[in-house]
Amino acid sequence: MATKIERDATASGRPLSDDRLQEILYFLKLARYFDERMEALYRQGRLPGAIYSGRGQEGTHVGVTFALEDRDSLFPTHRDLTAQLTKGLDLKRVMAQYWGRIDGYLRGRDGNSHIGDWVGHRTYAVMSHLPIAYPVACGAALVYQRDGSRRVALAICGDGATSNGRWHEAINTSAVFRLPVVWVVNNNQFAYSTPNAKEFAVPTIAERAAAYGIPGVRVDGADVLEVYAAAREAVDRAREGGGPTLIESVSLRWRGHAGHDPAKYVPRELLEHYMLSKDPVKNFEEYLRTQGVVTDDDIAQIQARVEREFDEGYEYALASPFPEPGDVTKGWWVEDGYWQSEPGRAGGTEAS
Amino acid sequence: MATQQVEAGAAGHGAEPRGKRSEDGQATYLIAVAEALWEEMERDERVFMLGEDIGVYGGAFKVTEGFIERFGSERVMDTPIAEETIVGMSVGAAMEGLRPVAEFQYADFMSSGFDEITTVLSRYHYRSGVPMPVVLRGPSGGGVRASSFHSINPEPWYAYAGGIKIMCPAFPSDAKGLLKSAIRDDNPCMFLEHKWIYRRIKEQVPEDPEFLVPIGTADVKRQGTDVSIVTYGAMVHKALEAAEALAQRGISAEVVDLRTVYPLDEETVLRSIEKTSRALVLYESYRFLGIGSEVAAVIAEKAFEHLDAPVLRLAPPNVPVPFSPPLEDAFLPQVADIEAAVDRLTGW
Repeated sequence: MATKIERDATASGRPLSDDRLQEILYFLKLARYFDERMEALYRQGRLPGAIYSGRGQEGTHVGVTFALEDRDSLFPTHRDLTAQLTKGLDLKRVMAQYWGRIDGYLRGRDGNSHIGDWVGHRTYAVMSHLPIAYPVACGAALVYQRDGSRRVALAICGDGATSNGRWHEAINTSAVFRLPVVWVVNNNQFAYSTPNAKEFAVPTIAERAAAYGIPGVRVDGADVLEVYAAAREAVDRAREGGGPTLIESVSLRWRGHAGHDPAKYVPRELLEHYMLSKDPVKNFEEYLRTQGVVTDDDIAQIQARVEREFDEGYEYALASPFPEPGDVTKGWWVEDGYWQSEPGRAGGTEAS
Repeated sequence: MATQQVEAGAAGHGAEPRGKRSEDGQATYLIAVAEALWEEMERDERVFMLGEDIGVYGGAFKVTEGFIERFGSERVMDTPIAEETIVGMSVGAAMEGLRPVAEFQYADFMSSGFDEITTVLSRYHYRSGVPMPVVLRGPSGGGVRASSFHSINPEPWYAYAGGIKIMCPAFPSDAKGLLKSAIRDDNPCMFLEHKWIYRRIKEQVPEDPEFLVPIGTADVKRQGTDVSIVTYGAMVHKALEAAEALAQRGISAEVVDLRTVYPLDEETVLRSIEKTSRALVLYESYRFLGIGSEVAAVIAEKAFEHLDAPVLRLAPPNVPVPFSPPLEDAFLPQVADIEAAVDRLTGW
C-alpha cells in the first residue's frame, strides 16, 4: 500500500508536505471521534434531532475536500459533515447547530448536518432532497467559468441519489457547458436500506460518466490519498477549463442511515471486513507511522486535540441560547433585516 | 425617441423592443415586458437570462428577439430541457453575485422545477441569510385554446412556498414597472405574464428607464361605489368590461387590480371594501385554494363590520383547462358571470 500511495500522491506533481499529511490525519481523527461521541450522546437522549453517521467514509470526505482551495465551493449532503469540517467550518458553531442554538450557522432554522457556511467557507447549506444541490453547483460553476477566477465547484452525493432525475440533469448540463465542477459520489453501498444492485443496473457508477461525455474514475475510499489524488486531478482539470469529472469513491456505511436505524440489512461479514481492513482512519494513521511522518506521541497529541475540541464545542453549544420564539417569522425577505443584524439572545438555554 | 413601424415579433435582428412600439408610441404588454428586460440588461451587467430557445430563436413568444445579438450568448443563454437545473443554476449563479432571469417557455413547465423552486429558491435566505436575487418568468393563463399544459395559473402553488414574490400584472405599464422592480429586488421573484394579454392590450408605457412599479401594491383601475371587484391578470379586463356594462344600468363597480398576488396589498383591498361594502373576488386560478380564497378570507376577517353581503368568489372549477372552445368558455368566468355575481351582491 505504501508504494501505491506514494505513487499516487506524486502523480499530480504536487507531493504533500508532512504538515499537510498530518492535517489530513487530524481531520480523519476529528471526524471519527465526533461521530462516536455524537452517537453516544444520541443514544443517551441528550441530542435533539437526528444524526447521520459518516463513519467509515472519512477517506472520501477528507480526501475530496482536501483537494479544494478555500475559494472553491462545496455542495454536500446530510452525510458529508466531515467534508464541511475539512473545508473549515468551526466545530463549536456546528455543535451549536446540533443543539438548535442561536450561535449555530443557521440560527436554529435547521439542525444537525443540514448545515452550511456560504459566506465564510463557501459550503452550501444542506437540504434533504437528493441530490438537490447538484443543479445549484452548476450555477456556481457557471459564474467561475465566466469570471476568470479559476474557482471550482465540488458536489457530493450518495449512491442512491444517482437514481434521481436531478443527478442526470446536472451532470448532463455541466458536460454540455463544460463547467468547472467535480461530481463526487460517496458510494457507501447502501441508500438507507437499498443496496447498489437495487439502485442501478450497471456494475459501477463511474462508468456512467461516459454517457454524459465526461471522464469517470472509481477510487478506494479506504485510502484517503488515492481519493485525494483523483480529486486533485479532477479539480485541476476543471480549473484549467477541461470541464467536469465524475469520481466514485467506494466505502461502506458502517452505521445506519440515521441514528435510529440498526442497519440489519448490511451483511455482517461485509461490515466486519470493512471495519477490520478498510478503515480509512486506521489505515492512514498506520501509513504515516510506518513512513515516519508521525510518532506515537504525535498521534496521541492529535487525539488529545480532537477530544479537547469536541468537549469545548459541546460546552459552547450548551451555553449558547436558543433562538427567540418571536423571531420565527423573520428572515423571509432581505429587507426585514433579520440576517443583517445580530439575533436576539434572550431565548434561554433550557429546553422546554 | 423615434419609433419604427415594426410589427411586434417580426422585427429584424438587432431591433430593440422600443423599436417595436406602434406608430403613436403605444406598447403592447409583450413589448413592455421586452423593454423591461432590455433596460435592466443594459443597466446592470450582472443581470443575465437563461431558458429554452430564448437566444438564437428569440423565445417561443419572441419576447427576447434581438437580445442575443445585443447582449451575447453568455447573457442570453440557451439551456437544455432541464427545468430543475435551470432553477438550480439560477440559484447557484445568484449565490455567486449574478442576477439571473430564468424564462420558462410556459409557466406550466415551472412545475418541472418544482423542488428547486419551493425547496431551494424560496427557503434558502430564510435558513441562511444568503440573498437570492432570482427572477422566474413565463407566460401563464388561459383563454387562448392552448389547453391544460399551456394555460396554467400556477401562482397558488408557488405562493404557498412562502419566500417568492409573485406578480401577475394586467396592463403593459404595470408589467414593465413590476418586472424592472423584480429584477432589482434581492428576493426571489416570480413574474407571470398572462399570454391572453400579450398582444391584445397596449397603452402608452413610460420610456424613463427608472420607471418602476413597487412590488406588493394593488391599484384601483376603476373607481366605483356599489361593489368592489378584487381581481388580477386577464380577469381585470373582463371585470372592466363588466363594470362598463353594469354602469349602463346604474351599478357602480370598483375594480381593484392586485398586480402582486404574494405578498397581498391588504390595505388597498380593505379600503375599497370600506367604501363599497360589497366584495366579489374574481380570479383565474382554481376556485378551491386559488389566490382568491386567501383574499376572500382576509376580507371576511378584517372588513366584517363594513360588509353588507357575504364575500363572493368567482373562479374556474378545479379541473384541468380544457381545449374545446365551448368547454374552455364554460371553464373561465365570463362577463355575464361577473354581472350575475354583482347582481347577487347588490340584491342581498
